[in-house]
Amino acid sequence: MSQILPPKPHQKKKRLRNWLIFIILGIIYVWAFKGIYERADWSVFDNLGEKFNRVIPKLFNPDWAETEKVWEYLVETVFIAYAGTLIAAILAVPFGFWAAKNMVKSPIWNTLGKWILILDRTFPELILAILFVITVGPGPFAGVLTIGLTAFGMLGKLYAEIIESIDMKVVEAMEANGANKMQILFYAIFPQVLPEFLSFALYRFEIDIRASTILGLVGAGGIGTLIVIAAANRNWEQLGLILLGIIIVVSLIDFVSTKIRKTFSIINESCLFLEQLFFIYIFFN
Amino acid sequence: MTINEGEFVVIVGLSGAGKSTFIRSINRMVTPTDGELYVEDENILNLKGKDLRRLRTKVGMIFQNYNLVNRSSVFKNTISGRLGHTGTFRSIFNLYPKEDKLKAYENLKRVNIEKYIYQRADQLSGGQQQRVSIARVLTQDPKLILADEPVASLDPPTSHQVMQYLKRINKEDNITTIVNLHFIDMAMEYADRIIGMRDGEVVFDGPVSEVSEKTLKKSIIVRFAKMI
Repeated sequence: MSQILPPKPHQKKKRLRNWLIFIILGIIYVWAFKGIYERADWSVFDNLGEKFNRVIPKLFNPDWAETEKVWEYLVETVFIAYAGTLIAAILAVPFGFWAAKNMVKSPIWNTLGKWILILDRTFPELILAILFVITVGPGPFAGVLTIGLTAFGMLGKLYAEIIESIDMKVVEAMEANGANKMQILFYAIFPQVLPEFLSFALYRFEIDIRASTILGLVGAGGIGTLIVIAAANRNWEQLGLILLGIIIVVSLIDFVSTKIRKTFSIINESCLFLEQLFFIYIFFN
Repeated sequence: MTINEGEFVVIVGLSGAGKSTFIRSINRMVTPTDGELYVEDENILNLKGKDLRRLRTKVGMIFQNYNLVNRSSVFKNTISGRLGHTGTFRSIFNLYPKEDKLKAYENLKRVNIEKYIYQRADQLSGGQQQRVSIARVLTQDPKLILADEPVASLDPPTSHQVMQYLKRINKEDNITTIVNLHFIDMAMEYADRIIGMRDGEVVFDGPVSEVSEKTLKKSIIVRFAKMI
């Protein structure tokens, strides 16, 4: 009954290595915290309570008189996110196919598609926003273009991954019964990918709502414009209302979009057909 | 080797013997490196594009994993057999002629699966899915049906049911049928003619009556014994 497991190899060596790593990490931590302690400007924390007292209570005491104005900008923010995500969701479809390994025969051509999407993702949102504010002028249009271009990079990559994960055997079956490329696209590929495409587009919309709230900081429209003005005027009551508005809108849209995305996983035929019509409509416009 | 019209041919052999390659050459899912292959007096080895699709419209195929679109309904899967006969625009917008739709429904009836017509394909069991894929092939109006291990993922009773449907269609519609199997007893039960393959070579070719203990031993059973 009592069997002994064979001894693990290199036990001593391993233990020694682990201790060494532990000690080195410990030394780095001690050195780092010591440096922080010596060089930090501790005067920041003087009168901390007093400073907080000046701002925080006002934040919790929103200025309801501004509701209408804040609401107007919030709607603009949502619209920027919506229009931007729509542009990205459509633009990402052809690029997704281009960057999907199983759709493009030539590896060089395929890698080029992947690289374009990578290049797009390297641009930080605010930098793009500044560029668009300069080129098309300040306002929501610059914001829409920014969101559209940043979301496009991510959605394109996600779409490509979805396409790469489809069941190619269905494509094979369609080839075997004499279908042409277009028919294979609509009969074998779209039914497999469209629900996921829409689900990711909605998810990206959630992200874009948050992203578009800060675009106004550089003049690209939306609620950020109000934030900059309120903060500059030290109008903490108004800022409180703005934050409250953002929190409500963002959580509401997150909630609704999560609900919708859940229904996509049990999507039925008629819905799929509507999606196809939608995509056809977009293709021919 | 010639396969005659209306024959029910079963190809047997171990995995890797070349059964799939053989069967897939006939509709050019794979392309043989040399030689000649005639389907209805047409050498198919050089077909491309439109001509290749025309060939594939004539040659139906059934797969081991059914290869249905899981998210689409049984009906849509069945009507997709008409793709080769239908224009791109019409098929994308689901504008099939009424005869085609009726044909798809008739074929679902023939394999007794018509009550699931509007269900999603992935809600059916394996045997039911394979029957849908038979209906899809029938809707294609093929001259020839290729079945690549059609029962390899099914349990024995369901396998026999699927084989019976294939056999009946072969007899009633006079559609030449070529099936890959790796059970010799099942092959004996349904085939008119058996082709045995080993290592890419045909080692036996003849009617079921000629398959004796001896030939079997020579071509297949010995191999099994060696492997065990």
